[in-house]
Amino acid sequence: MLVRNTYNEFIKIIAKPRSYIGLGVLTALIFVILFAMKADGTSFVSFVTASFEQTLSFNGNILNGNLIAFIILQMLIVHIPLLVALVTGDLISGEAAMGTIRMLATKPISRTNIVLSKFIAGAVYTLILTLWLAFLALIVVKWMFGTGDLIVLNSSGLIILQEQDIMWRYLCSFFVAYLALLTVSSLSICLSAFAENSIGPIVSTMGIIILFTIIGSMDVTVFDSIKKFLFTTHMASWRSFFEDPVKMKDIWQSIIILVVHNIVLVAIAIIKFNKKDITS
Amino acid sequence: MRYIFFSLLIFYSLSANSQTADQIIAQLVSKINLVKDYSVKANIKADIPMIKVLPVNATIYFKQKDKFKVISKGIAILPKQGFTDVSSFLSNKNTYVAVDGGIKALNGVQTHVVTVIPTVENSDIVLAKLWIDTKNKVILKTDLTTRGSGSVTMNYVYGTQLAFGLPDQITFTVDIKKFKMPKSISSDINNSEKAKKSKSKIGIITIKLSGYLVNKGISDEFFKKKN
Repeated sequence: MLVRNTYNEFIKIIAKPRSYIGLGVLTALIFVILFAMKADGTSFVSFVTASFEQTLSFNGNILNGNLIAFIILQMLIVHIPLLVALVTGDLISGEAAMGTIRMLATKPISRTNIVLSKFIAGAVYTLILTLWLAFLALIVVKWMFGTGDLIVLNSSGLIILQEQDIMWRYLCSFFVAYLALLTVSSLSICLSAFAENSIGPIVSTMGIIILFTIIGSMDVTVFDSIKKFLFTTHMASWRSFFEDPVKMKDIWQSIIILVVHNIVLVAIAIIKFNKKDITS
Repeated sequence: MRYIFFSLLIFYSLSANSQTADQIIAQLVSKINLVKDYSVKANIKADIPMIKVLPVNATIYFKQKDKFKVISKGIAILPKQGFTDVSSFLSNKNTYVAVDGGIKALNGVQTHVVTVIPTVENSDIVLAKLWIDTKNKVILKTDLTTRGSGSVTMNYVYGTQLAFGLPDQITFTVDIKKFKMPKSISSDINNSEKAKKSKSKIGIITIKLSGYLVNKGISDEFFKKKN
């Protein structure tokens, strides 16, 4: 019953026009970035290497597909949560708003399984978005710009990763990025269980992400103790795969925190939905 | 009378030394001019503060007077100055004066130290100090002070191409300007590490050169083409 209901939930997702907004916006954003890189990518690269270029020269194909894929991932990981929440934030509250939730609750499936099937359907949608991003970033971009070593700027300086050492990092990064987006999906489903309209959970999800991101980026000691528990802190942990050596301890910590967030948020949604007095 | 004598003696000794330095440089330039062009396989190892990079293989192309190109599958880091600057600077003898710095031993080799000072105002090179092996007519070490890129020290090791004055290994020691990696541009906004400042100021780039193809003819167009 859970599988069949998950299938039904997924059909509902793909039947909504807004589900395609995410894919469309993602595609448009990536092609805007590609256009910008094609037109003026060299100056972007010199912005990265500017600190060193007074004394050193960087030779070789720096502006390659690997670098642009990294830029895309870095730029869009901030915006994709909105695209995820746009669909998943509507999964329970949308039914309440439309008045179909009562009919859904009369089906021979437990309320727990209803929430779980919505969570799984949302997870599949998030996976499709992530795979689409991976396809555009790793296949289309590399086809357009070629491949080569990856130059990464982080807080410890510049790291130049060799071409043959990059693909596995991207695959692992997309997995962690997916886990982060899944947490956004779970958060919006959880908020959706509390709401009776579609907009509330979507806006609240984005509000929480913005709030947590600002707290995480502020260099104020009073927030240091809570920063590591905020899921937004770990949304950027995919970047750790581009460190040398890879900080596996930090990555595992991020994975654990994101998984715990998912479990807790879905559990809250299940508890709330089970106790919900459906009157619409 | 005594003062005039000493003045003449100092002037004579200075001009004699200067002449010697000019002769050494002329011999060096004539050897540099033996090479019209070359291509060489290079293994580039960069040890630079705040940059992590593995050794990279590349092919370096050079054509007189200052055409220079590096083709590398990976990203190769080279010093901004030092590769062709010294030879092209020395080739134009109207733009500098050479001052003899005496004879000094460098790694067991007797070298003639020559300081070269540009006489033109817009020269990027401020000062070049050369340790020249007069026997083989090659530079063993160069201290280059530039306007734009600070100072660069180059140590040369010769082997197979000594006859052409082409080294098998060059070690560049470059001044890395102090810089701070701002958190905003590292965009790792969730990283708890504070943005770091570079402490070390010295970067060392070692280039091992092998498989020289000298004077085989490289077209000017080749240097204009993008990699």
